[in-house]
Amino acid sequence: MSSEFSQSEWLSTLTAAPATEVKTLANTVLPQLAAQGELDVVHNRTGLVMLPYRDTVQGTTFHLGEALVAQGQVQQGDFTGYGVVLGRDLEQALAVALLDLALQQDVAKERIFAFMRDAQAEQRQVTDLLLRKVESTRVQMETF
Amino acid sequence: MAYVAARGGENAIIESEQLFHDLNGPLTAEKVRVIMETVPYLLDRVMGEASLYAPELAALAIAQSGGELYEAALLLRAYRTTQPRLEYAAVTEQGEMLTVRRISAAFKDIPGGQVLGPTLDYSHRVLNLGVLTGEGAVRHEATPAPEAAQPTYPALADWQRKVGLLPEVTPDTRTGHSVPDLTREPLLFPPARAHELQGLARADTGGLLTLGYSIMRGYGLIHPTVNEVRLGYAEVNLTHPATGVAFSAGRVRVSQAEIVTEFAGDSKTPELALGFCATLGWNEVKVIAGGTLDMNMQKAADHGEKHPAHTPEFVLYHTETVEASGFCIHFKLPHYVTFQSALDAMRQVRGNPQGVNLPGSEVPA
Repeated sequence: MSSEFSQSEWLSTLTAAPATEVKTLANTVLPQLAAQGELDVVHNRTGLVMLPYRDTVQGTTFHLGEALVAQGQVQQGDFTGYGVVLGRDLEQALAVALLDLALQQDVAKERIFAFMRDAQAEQRQVTDLLLRKVESTRVQMETF
Repeated sequence: MAYVAARGGENAIIESEQLFHDLNGPLTAEKVRVIMETVPYLLDRVMGEASLYAPELAALAIAQSGGELYEAALLLRAYRTTQPRLEYAAVTEQGEMLTVRRISAAFKDIPGGQVLGPTLDYSHRVLNLGVLTGEGAVRHEATPAPEAAQPTYPALADWQRKVGLLPEVTPDTRTGHSVPDLTREPLLFPPARAHELQGLARADTGGLLTLGYSIMRGYGLIHPTVNEVRLGYAEVNLTHPATGVAFSAGRVRVSQAEIVTEFAGDSKTPELALGFCATLGWNEVKVIAGGTLDMNMQKAADHGEKHPAHTPEFVLYHTETVEASGFCIHFKLPHYVTFQSALDAMRQVRGNPQGVNLPGSEVPA
């Protein structure tokens, strides 16, 4: 595992990156990954994730509802690649799982990390812009 | 209840469906895309009531049903039943949500402050007729501040507990499948709080508003004040099956409201009390009405009140979107046998006021 990005970071970043770009990246990494040995697709399916939520009144955990997701899980030797994305895009989920598998084995690490630097910067920029617009709506309370 | 099979209507049924779609225009991917991009609050309402976060499919459901929202929610609920449950996300805590709107009507200065976020609350309710003639098509662009707002805010209730305004609570440690789940267990009364809150989260917006409004106006045990309304994005935090590493699979829009009242505790140490409601999507009317109902249901449990809108059984049974709308529209189905039976009884009574089922009292239908 590399130190620049943790597995948590790369999974979260790749999941939020544009689907088309993630699929293209996975396609370019696939030949190198395939050269590592037999590659099995364990799961590539849609399904539901239940979202538990905390009530602030009594601290009760309850189910807010479910989210539709696409899940990809691949296996190569002892390594398990995994990806889950919101929605129904099975190829996107599989692409994330393949990139996860590659990164765990240091395959095409620099290429994927270069992609991730750009993706993460863009995601941060989008969130930052949103929060700067939100800040403009802050109420300056006057106390009389 | 008895129904009668109606024969000979097959072609009429096929053509009625064709006519429905004919009048609504073609169902295309472009139409779905436009709905998805232009009416996010409508998607939110359908997803909240369907209890399924799937914006693309919500847009499809709205397009396919011609905008008939009960049909759209039913379509999504039906689709949901075809999907396996793969995982349970980590519990979303209020203080971890990426927040874009947070206001309080009870306290001016709250830790973290108030941000209005995206809202039409303070706008003039005037139709922009110029848009129709091409003169008023304006793209609104919010002005970014030099500094970003903080992404998360502490729960207001935590501060209220710190200063002794609210009683302490012990957080629920249940996670995943150990949390009571209405989709897998029957709703029993009195309900588990987890069932009640899940029921409110997936309830019909109009139903919650009607019952909530009834207790806001004249039939309530408390006067509701909004402690906090919050709109934001909750991370769907999952776990890698092999490494156990947590990661985010994306964000979903969530709204929640706390309703506060000052009439709690006892005469020596009065305290505040809260009601709560949250739902998928941004839907403020629903969560404010739901939080008010939650507050009243809690109070009623203490005081033994039996007004319908204070009673979980009444509230939760009658605001269940699919069951309520389904039961309502089922009355359109042929009830010829039951109705004919009632008519027969009526004729028998008219024909023999002394009593029915007596020799010679039968009246031909």
